[in-house]
Amino acid sequence: MRTLPAGQYLPGHSLLHRLDARAKILCALILMTAVIGASSLWGYTLVLVALLIPILISRLPLRPTVAAVRGMGGFLLVILLMNALFFKGETVLASWGIIQLSHEGIKQGFRIVSNVVLILIIGNLLTMTTLPTQVATALESLIKPLKLIGVPTEEVAMIISVAIQFIPTLMEATELIKMAQIARGARFESKKLSERAVSFLPLVVPVFISAFRRAEELSLAMEARGYRNAKNRTRRQKEPLALHDYAALTFSVLICLIQFLLQR
Amino acid sequence: MSKLSAVQRSIFTAVCIGLCVVLPMAFHAIPNAGTLFSPMHIPVLLSGLICGWSFGFLCGLAGPLLSSLLTGMPPLAYLPSMLVELATYGLVCGLMINLIRTEKIYADLYISLVVALLAGRIIAGVARALLFSPGSYSFAAWITSYFITSWPGLVIQLTLVPALVSALMKAKLIPPWYPTKA
Repeated sequence: MRTLPAGQYLPGHSLLHRLDARAKILCALILMTAVIGASSLWGYTLVLVALLIPILISRLPLRPTVAAVRGMGGFLLVILLMNALFFKGETVLASWGIIQLSHEGIKQGFRIVSNVVLILIIGNLLTMTTLPTQVATALESLIKPLKLIGVPTEEVAMIISVAIQFIPTLMEATELIKMAQIARGARFESKKLSERAVSFLPLVVPVFISAFRRAEELSLAMEARGYRNAKNRTRRQKEPLALHDYAALTFSVLICLIQFLLQR
Repeated sequence: MSKLSAVQRSIFTAVCIGLCVVLPMAFHAIPNAGTLFSPMHIPVLLSGLICGWSFGFLCGLAGPLLSSLLTGMPPLAYLPSMLVELATYGLVCGLMINLIRTEKIYADLYISLVVALLAGRIIAGVARALLFSPGSYSFAAWITSYFITSWPGLVIQLTLVPALVSALMKAKLIPPWYPTKA
């Protein structure tokens, strides 16, 4: 667990890397809507073809881009089989007791698996081409309208940005405590599932204590430097969206519109 | 609820959100650990108890969202129902710990936890039945997914969260709930 299992940022200079994080998040959400709206083979083909364009533009290696999908292979297979064998369909192809293989079940299984796979790829494309700090800044901009209903958006953005910056430190601390527990005889690699599960429990308390100690140090340092709340902080002027950001947004909206026209 | 400064509450919540990403990764070595042990629930409950309902609510929303974006756990398809469940845990936990004053810290913690865990499961079940899977979600599926398959997680949460609060107090990282008797 030294590195994030999938979707970690890969530095690059491609057009996708250069797109504004706000535009990328919005594009991802629009394309995810297009995936959820798909219900036919044509619908899924459309999203797949649409996704090939950012994959090619990003110049990302294919292996890490689909790593999350490969990692979930077993889970996706179970979802497919559960739907294929237990979905109550009208066109029954074979049946054994309560198990019923139906045409509708197979279709439903493929639909769910395709949704998960495509959404995972969209999420991966976003996080592999955007720095976590850029994600935090973009989230701050995107949640700004919530200010109208009294949500302290600056505070929320500060918390999310600190959380993102804490992740590598927490991972390192967890790994260190895990090693210390192994030295004391914890059996994290045991073949027995129950032994492995029990060995993880003594890991939790030291991880929390270590994390809260770091948080206490950070909050003391912030208070000592005069930090009171995020509202009074000054910030660099935001750059407006560029032409290529608008082009990416238009492309995503078009795909979503075509998808809904295909379903009619 | 313990008396922390506004900055401490914000940073402790940030750490809890970070732990929502890191803990599931640590448990990843155990097959199906997410469903069985629900490691992400622990920081959310703790954030609600220590920092208050608004911070608990934020942790319940931001924790799974960040984890899903950065690590793919939970998958985006399951994210909406999880957001509802965890946000309710953080919110109710924070509200309950403010309301209940039995003068016994463990009684306060257990009552708040049990009410929050029940409320979160009920609201997530209702959300799934009415919003996320309308027509295809049954009472049996709710009982199975929220109580039968996740019972190890329930036991872990009810055991670990009060132990964590106590450990953090002993380490003087959070102030005591009630003044200690001389």
